[in-house]
Amino acid sequence: MAEAPLELAERALSYADGDAQVTVVHERSLSSRFARSAPTQATSVDDTTVEIACLRDGHTGAATTNRVDEGSLRAAARRADTVARAAARAGPGDHPGLPEPAPATPAAGWDEATAELDPARGAEALRAAFAGAGAAGLEAFGLWTTGAVRTAIATSSGVRATDDVTDAFMKVVLRDADGRSGYAAETAGSVGELDPVALTERARRRAPREDGVALGPGEYTVVLSADAVGVLLEFAGYLAFNGLAHVEGRGALSDRLGTTVAAPVIDLRDTPAFPRTLPRAYDAEGVPKRSVALIEGGVAGAVVHDLRSAAETGDGARSTGHAVELGSAHGPVPTNLVLAGGGAADEEALAAPVERGIYVTRLWYVNVVHERHTLLTGMTRDGTFLIEDGKIGPPVRDVRFTDSVLRILEATEDLTAAQRLVSEGEFYGRRFANGVVCPALRAHGFRVTGATR
Amino acid sequence: MLDLLVDLADRASGRCAYAEARHVSTDDEHLLVRNGKIERVDSESGEGIGVRVRIGGAWGFAASRDATLEGGERALAAALAVAREMPAAADRTLAPVEPARGHWSGPCEIDPFAIALEDRLELLVGAEAGLHGDARIVQSTAECILRRQASAFASTDGAACTQLRFESGGGIQAIAVEGDELQVRSYPGAHGGSVGLGGWERVLALDLAGNAARVREEVLELLRAPACPAGRRTVILGSEQLALQIHESIGHALELDRVLLGEASYAGTSWVSPGDLGSLRYGSEHLTVVADATLPGALGSFGWDDEGVAAGRTTLIEHGTLRAALSDRQSAATQGLGASAGCARADGFARQPIVRMTNVSIAPGDAGSLQDLVADTDDGLLLETNRSWSIDDRRLHFQFGTEVARVIKDGELAGLVRNPTYAGITPQFWGSMDAVCSQEAWEVHGLLNCGKGEPGQLMRVSHGTAPARFRDVEVGVA
Repeated sequence: MAEAPLELAERALSYADGDAQVTVVHERSLSSRFARSAPTQATSVDDTTVEIACLRDGHTGAATTNRVDEGSLRAAARRADTVARAAARAGPGDHPGLPEPAPATPAAGWDEATAELDPARGAEALRAAFAGAGAAGLEAFGLWTTGAVRTAIATSSGVRATDDVTDAFMKVVLRDADGRSGYAAETAGSVGELDPVALTERARRRAPREDGVALGPGEYTVVLSADAVGVLLEFAGYLAFNGLAHVEGRGALSDRLGTTVAAPVIDLRDTPAFPRTLPRAYDAEGVPKRSVALIEGGVAGAVVHDLRSAAETGDGARSTGHAVELGSAHGPVPTNLVLAGGGAADEEALAAPVERGIYVTRLWYVNVVHERHTLLTGMTRDGTFLIEDGKIGPPVRDVRFTDSVLRILEATEDLTAAQRLVSEGEFYGRRFANGVVCPALRAHGFRVTGATR
Repeated sequence: MLDLLVDLADRASGRCAYAEARHVSTDDEHLLVRNGKIERVDSESGEGIGVRVRIGGAWGFAASRDATLEGGERALAAALAVAREMPAAADRTLAPVEPARGHWSGPCEIDPFAIALEDRLELLVGAEAGLHGDARIVQSTAECILRRQASAFASTDGAACTQLRFESGGGIQAIAVEGDELQVRSYPGAHGGSVGLGGWERVLALDLAGNAARVREEVLELLRAPACPAGRRTVILGSEQLALQIHESIGHALELDRVLLGEASYAGTSWVSPGDLGSLRYGSEHLTVVADATLPGALGSFGWDDEGVAAGRTTLIEHGTLRAALSDRQSAATQGLGASAGCARADGFARQPIVRMTNVSIAPGDAGSLQDLVADTDDGLLLETNRSWSIDDRRLHFQFGTEVARVIKDGELAGLVRNPTYAGITPQFWGSMDAVCSQEAWEVHGLLNCGKGEPGQLMRVSHGTAPARFRDVEVGVA
């Protein structure tokens, strides 16, 4: 792309009248999938999208295109203006207006080697996984993917914001002929941080070598891997800390800020500049991202805001830089969650005090059962084990849990000192790489409600 | 555009064993009215070319928004480069296909994009207003989802075809909060309402405004309704919930790529094994399931799939016995089938085709109307409108929640219970089905958010269903 994203954003903005914001996203990405120790799909994407959003009397109208010629951009600008005006005819809207420019510390999220999207490097990673699997008598399944996404925002209020983010993700599932499987994944800002050999070895250690025993419904002490903790925290992020849902009385912490909602060992922040996260300087409204203490010492501290939720909250609230789109009806979301580590040396140390419990490598198909109660359900997969007499022992069949994520945080007894950046490596629509930095943890009373065959 | 793609396929010949080029141009519009205000009008237009090639058994796919011959050539070069770098893979011939030629258009009586924006918004404003009137309703919405998509496809196997489809629909929803309780009620379905192939006439037929008062009253009633008791009960699944039940525990389980372990690291595998086709007992004799890409008005209908295989109709389960699976050209060849079932679908130009559902539907039974089925049930729950869903990675153990359960007592409906959930194991659950309503109660439901693939793809599919009854089901598990 010859024209830099910010140049393109400014050019598109010049075609829009009145209050307007232009967001340009240039995605380049490469993904290599594999199954049964052979490559299955390889996808290379190069796309640029331009969103022109007009603001009229508190209403936003947006038009997005991936055609960047003048005629197409002018047409998008006209469309955004038309729809915003149509919305405004029914009365004033809720958006408080575009932000004033504010400085932000540039995020160090770009790695040139990753941005090369070298397919040979991906092939090398796949070969390492295949070799590790073969040596263990197993087959390898998984994904290696890298992305380079450049985002630019230009507004009629003078904001000029850019974020360049590279990301790399690899996961390995090792599986035997009877379907017993183990999992390991790594998320990073640069491809050089991925270690396919070590990753494959981690997956091997979590691959059961015997059939799992059946576990009945009940409450168990659980050791959740960092990957499993990350999934739960993502749900907590939008159920409990969304400023718009909170002010509208739909949030899980409505009327509960300042009260104890988790164990004293829980310190949860959204920290966009945390060293191991995928950093961004600005949110989707061009507002500098701020660190927010969500839970401190188990006490609910704050929710995150975008411009609109802050305005609806009033009382001095201002955007914390957590917009995911201009004037979103879905509200702001924390995208750089960091859960502080605890005192345990590793997962084995977490398991040491457990007389009988379970160890969970990976959660799957987690979904919300009740929003206000942060009640979730989901399955375990790819390595679930019984903890007996302080040792992670024999495998158990995958179980279903139905439990509240806030209750799990309230029942947390200890966490590992070390944290990892974890994600599911899911990229639907335009690539927006993010993850959670978190440790593994141990909690009591984990509610198992069923088991698979 | 088709000539350009044919030219591109010609240029790929000799440089790979197989190549296909696809151009997709999509216009989307989403209108949302929320809490008495026009919340948002979003429109998105995009186009591009995706090229997929096969070299020595390894695939390479590249996509570019540059829809010129030069852009297509760059995508072809990138796809070839990626495929060449891949480690070696088994080089099986793809299942044969008749070259796709011609043009297909989906139904559309009234072009939704030709309706004045003010008129479209007025319909939604009027529907959403019917949800107002009680401070406990903290969010009320009416939304409309529209799409126009034109595509062209050419391959080195001689395909050269074009397609045009319109998709339209919408829905309303109310969320109410009282104390620590939050309840949701939607019409005509959750997750965006009802969307199907067609034009504005589909939105008009929904009668969103005419259903708003009932939605409002039910969400308020649910706030103070008793909780769903735990136990084992007879349940009747309403047709929308049954659509998701089929989707999760039949449709995905019968995707042949999953059965062959191709999706083991993400979407998962299947409890069905390759050798089960033709013999496995999947459910009771009342269970007949068909995948039909020719179903009128359904989101999974088309002229050809994204490998150029003509739309067809496949019986997947016949009176409880598994007969066939959903396949693309590669999985069909691996399984030794004579032809693909025509289930290769891609989400836009920037994703490659993978095995997806088309329209996987349950055949109507002979239990009459929903009222007839309720009258034939002494004691049970009628579960309606999905709220929560989860299933394991082999599609065996599932747990669903619905917005509402209606108590059935002595053949009559007797009030609501809130937060209903039910769980089960796929073959046991389908084996417990003892009645399916008749054709008169059979409806088609669209699902917009079927996720699969890496990078992720959201596919739109439909399911034809009629309410069905299941015995001895675990309920109240949450």
